[in-house]
Amino acid sequence: MNALTYPVLLLALVAVGGVHMSDPALARAQSVAASQVRSVVVASDSEQIPAQPAGTAVPSGVKNADDYEETNDLEKGEGGAKAEIADPLEPFNRAMYHFNDKLYFWVLKPVARGYAKVVPESARVGVGNLFTNVSFPIRFVNCLLQANFTGAVSELGRFVVNTIWGMGGLLDPASSRDIDLVKRNEDFGQTLGVYGVGQGFFITWPILGPSSPRDTVGFVGDLFLHPFTYVGSTELWLGVRAYDRVNDTSLSIGDYESLKEAAIDPYVAIRDAYAQYRLKKVKERGVEPENPGSAGSSSLKGY
Amino acid sequence: MASVSILLFVRGIAVAGGPFGPPEPIAKPGGGLHTAFGYWYQQDTYKNGTEYAIRQNQIYSEAGYGFGNRWEVHARIGLSDLEVMDAYRSTSASTVAFRNDFAENWKFFTAVGAKGFYPINGVFGIGSFIHGTYYFSDFTDKVSGTQTGAPYSVDVGVKGLWDVNFGVGLQATVPYGVKMYIGPYIYYSEARIASSATIAGLAVTAGEATIRNKNVLGGFAGVEVPLPKGFRLNLEGQYSERLSAGVAVAYTY
Repeated sequence: MNALTYPVLLLALVAVGGVHMSDPALARAQSVAASQVRSVVVASDSEQIPAQPAGTAVPSGVKNADDYEETNDLEKGEGGAKAEIADPLEPFNRAMYHFNDKLYFWVLKPVARGYAKVVPESARVGVGNLFTNVSFPIRFVNCLLQANFTGAVSELGRFVVNTIWGMGGLLDPASSRDIDLVKRNEDFGQTLGVYGVGQGFFITWPILGPSSPRDTVGFVGDLFLHPFTYVGSTELWLGVRAYDRVNDTSLSIGDYESLKEAAIDPYVAIRDAYAQYRLKKVKERGVEPENPGSAGSSSLKGY
Repeated sequence: MASVSILLFVRGIAVAGGPFGPPEPIAKPGGGLHTAFGYWYQQDTYKNGTEYAIRQNQIYSEAGYGFGNRWEVHARIGLSDLEVMDAYRSTSASTVAFRNDFAENWKFFTAVGAKGFYPINGVFGIGSFIHGTYYFSDFTDKVSGTQTGAPYSVDVGVKGLWDVNFGVGLQATVPYGVKMYIGPYIYYSEARIASSATIAGLAVTAGEATIRNKNVLGGFAGVEVPLPKGFRLNLEGQYSERLSAGVAVAYTY
């Protein structure tokens, strides 16, 4: 067997894991966790959320993660204490956390850094936009499943505008100040949550990263909605997802490191932030997200 | 059954790749990127002894960059069909073609252009442009018929289409930001016809030949209307031997 087979396969597996790890849910979850300790910006895609220094007021429409509470599989209303999620598999989860951590530092990050050195940032942002545009069916269908028809129409409009006037999705004119169609990060795990399915317990999958039984099922559901699932062979699918993950990581190198440095126990920080953010996403169904491109950024920044 | 394979190469029949647009760059006043999506219905006439009318339906996507309101460069990529009317018209009573028109479906083309604009005052301005089109792919077709009673089948190909256009436009900006423009243009295109065999009575198979567009001068006129949310609607017509027209919607960043 070719000597390169195993490294390539490993990178592909990391990339597939990136499908989950690159979920904005985790990115934001990390951001929330880090911001509780110190002011850092943690975001992995164009929908970056500004870090909030501890103790400062958050913008209207964006609630503090501490406003949510989850105990075991019971999701409670607002105003609770710190969000929690059961962790009966903590020894296993910690082991997987360290495994994923090493994969990131030993494989994904070096590859992403090399990629970032040879590909200009604007091109990488464009590629990220393209992958986001292609995954439109996930967001569109889940908006419909959540009876969020405004979001579905918005997603459909984004897809049409970005495909036609965004050169197939390389550009993101739909997020511009003029058009202001904000991406709805709806996924099947969130849809299940809207239907009343609780998170269950915390689980860290090897390669796939932080999740829960509900979101694991949702992840599989999202795979069926992703167009790449139906394009070409498995090897091609792995390759495309690997490239997507590497490209995505190249745009957020340092975020994870900031989280690790900021947290006393990064594993706990990620776990709590993940639970908080997922609960927040479920509760905020149908609430129009803020458009980072409409807040005075330059017209080119929204690409 | 007698079968004759013939290749016909036509290079550079008049194939303008869409509207020229207003003389002033599409970009916002400070300059910047724009993208557009358009449809263009192209008609023209070319000749190599015999005149042929062509028709094309083109859809294209455009990206361009404006440097202030003075200069612009743009590029297009699109798909186009091609119809050459009466291409298989027989001039011999012993040769019969089962159909008359060359027809082929969507092929890729690209177009690039640049324009410069000089505002005379707040209303009028004048500009010039250069615009060229090239087809990546061959157009192919097959026609069948009989010659002196024997059946034949002919493969026909059209490849390497290109043209170049240069024009000057006068623009008037009227209330609501509507831009109206008109001007003359000249264009050049050529075609090489080659065939591997000859069928008596079918002029397009009469050996290799270079053909050019029948006319070199044309006129164009159009209007650009601002739409909500940063979009702009462009309607344009061009006339040179035959009328061509199209519509495009652009978005300015």
